[in-house]
Amino acid sequence: MEPILQITHLKKDFGSHQVLSDIDFSVNQGDVVSIIGASGSGKSTLLRCINLLESPTSGDIRFHGESVLDSSIDVPAYRAKVGMVFQSFNLFDNMNVLENCMISPVKILKVPKAEARDRAMMYLDKVGMTSFINAKPRYLSGGQKQRVAIARALAIQPEVLLFDEPTSALDPQMVGEVLDVIGDLAKEGRTMVIVTHEMTFARDVSNRIIFMDEGVICEEGAPEKIFNQPVKDATKAFLQRFWNR
Amino acid sequence: MKPSLLSHLQTKEAEKMTSLPSDFLGRVFFILQRYGMSYLRGAGTTLLISLISTLFGCIIGFGVGVVQYLPIEERLPWWKRWLLVLAKGLLKIYVEVFRGTPMMVQSMFIYYGASQLMGINMSMWFAAFFIVSINTGAYMAETVRGGLLSIDNGQTEGALAVGMSPIRAMNYVLIPQALRNIMPQIGNNLIINIKDTCVLSVIGTVELFFASKSVAGTYYTYFESMAIAMVLYLTMTIVASKLLRLWEKKMDGPSSYDLATTDTLAFTSGLLTMAPAKKKERRD
Repeated sequence: MEPILQITHLKKDFGSHQVLSDIDFSVNQGDVVSIIGASGSGKSTLLRCINLLESPTSGDIRFHGESVLDSSIDVPAYRAKVGMVFQSFNLFDNMNVLENCMISPVKILKVPKAEARDRAMMYLDKVGMTSFINAKPRYLSGGQKQRVAIARALAIQPEVLLFDEPTSALDPQMVGEVLDVIGDLAKEGRTMVIVTHEMTFARDVSNRIIFMDEGVICEEGAPEKIFNQPVKDATKAFLQRFWNR
Repeated sequence: MKPSLLSHLQTKEAEKMTSLPSDFLGRVFFILQRYGMSYLRGAGTTLLISLISTLFGCIIGFGVGVVQYLPIEERLPWWKRWLLVLAKGLLKIYVEVFRGTPMMVQSMFIYYGASQLMGINMSMWFAAFFIVSINTGAYMAETVRGGLLSIDNGQTEGALAVGMSPIRAMNYVLIPQALRNIMPQIGNNLIINIKDTCVLSVIGTVELFFASKSVAGTYYTYFESMAIAMVLYLTMTIVASKLLRLWEKKMDGPSSYDLATTDTLAFTSGLLTMAPAKKKERRD
């Protein structure tokens, strides 16, 4: 079966600093891939490259076999098929919760308003935020904001969901509520790529773990393999440091 | 004939001066009685020019500010990049010229220059609106750019990530937020315009200052005439700033929110039904 996303020889430089060098991996339908690694190892940059928020220096990203780096590609239309959830939520401050979840379906995807509203309500229900539809983001807690952000990403009905450290800006009490939501999505069989520092969560929810170190994929495999029998020294050291924390 | 006309005028003048009360308040009332309407008409002109010009100035300012804010991205085709650089350069010149020269000088330069150089006889009204709008636009351009820069980059990224093009992200997310952020500056500009339209008197616009000066010249009552003008200007600026404050509050929306109840939660399109009740109630 053809992978949804295929990344080949991906490189990204910021000036003379090489953040990603020669990244290769693919995401199949129904995959839940967690990317772990130390801060600064290039995890977030990789995710941002997939969504073209950063333009890769070289290499290729194929979505259903078609290169998204091709100049003929409709970038906004591609991004609408690849939902993204950010560390800092990035809800639109000028809109309330419901408007946040409806703006893109209505204005960009041209879904009829009544249908878009129901769709938004359905996803807000999934994340347990329906009673807050009238609230502006500034009145919500971090965990609530992130749940709305997830509903907003779901409302565009993307084929792949990207999570960029979705719980890193939350206090420990709120981490749980957001991870529960993501866990539910994984059970539904959604295709997701998750950059995270929550090791237990990554182990439980993913079918594949990618460990990144200094801009390269150091080790890749099933959670049991990476967490229980890591092969590379860097992986061992990273996990050692993590479990001893 | 001539001497008698002169003496006639002299007696007229003397009569006028003798009919003028000698105390301050008396003179003010005397002036208001005879010239109240011309003051009001002057104030109306001032208000009309400043309101409309502030509005057009804001539109110009948003146009210029947005262009100045756009990044020159490498992935754009070369001609788009070149066009953007050119547009930015020209707009920069516009902003510098109109911010960097006095409006009074500009008024005469444009009003008389247009007829002398290009043979265009601008109507005084058009000239007035044009000059104040384009000045406001020059100031607003930098304000708008600042307003856009003050918005967290995450807002743009969030908009791009849900599939908006950069232009749509600008329309739906950035501009509404920038507008709210710069409302105090727009108020500032309106107040400055109410006061600064007085320089249009040099091209013959009969606004409040021109009206006051004419009255003052008739009776040599500069103090009293200008006192009336001061009160009128102050009234207009205070009312303007209060109204803008109210508008700002309205833009902010309610300072609290109601939790939605089951009635408002009903699905309306009939295409979807509510998922079965959650087993686990999620509360922060």
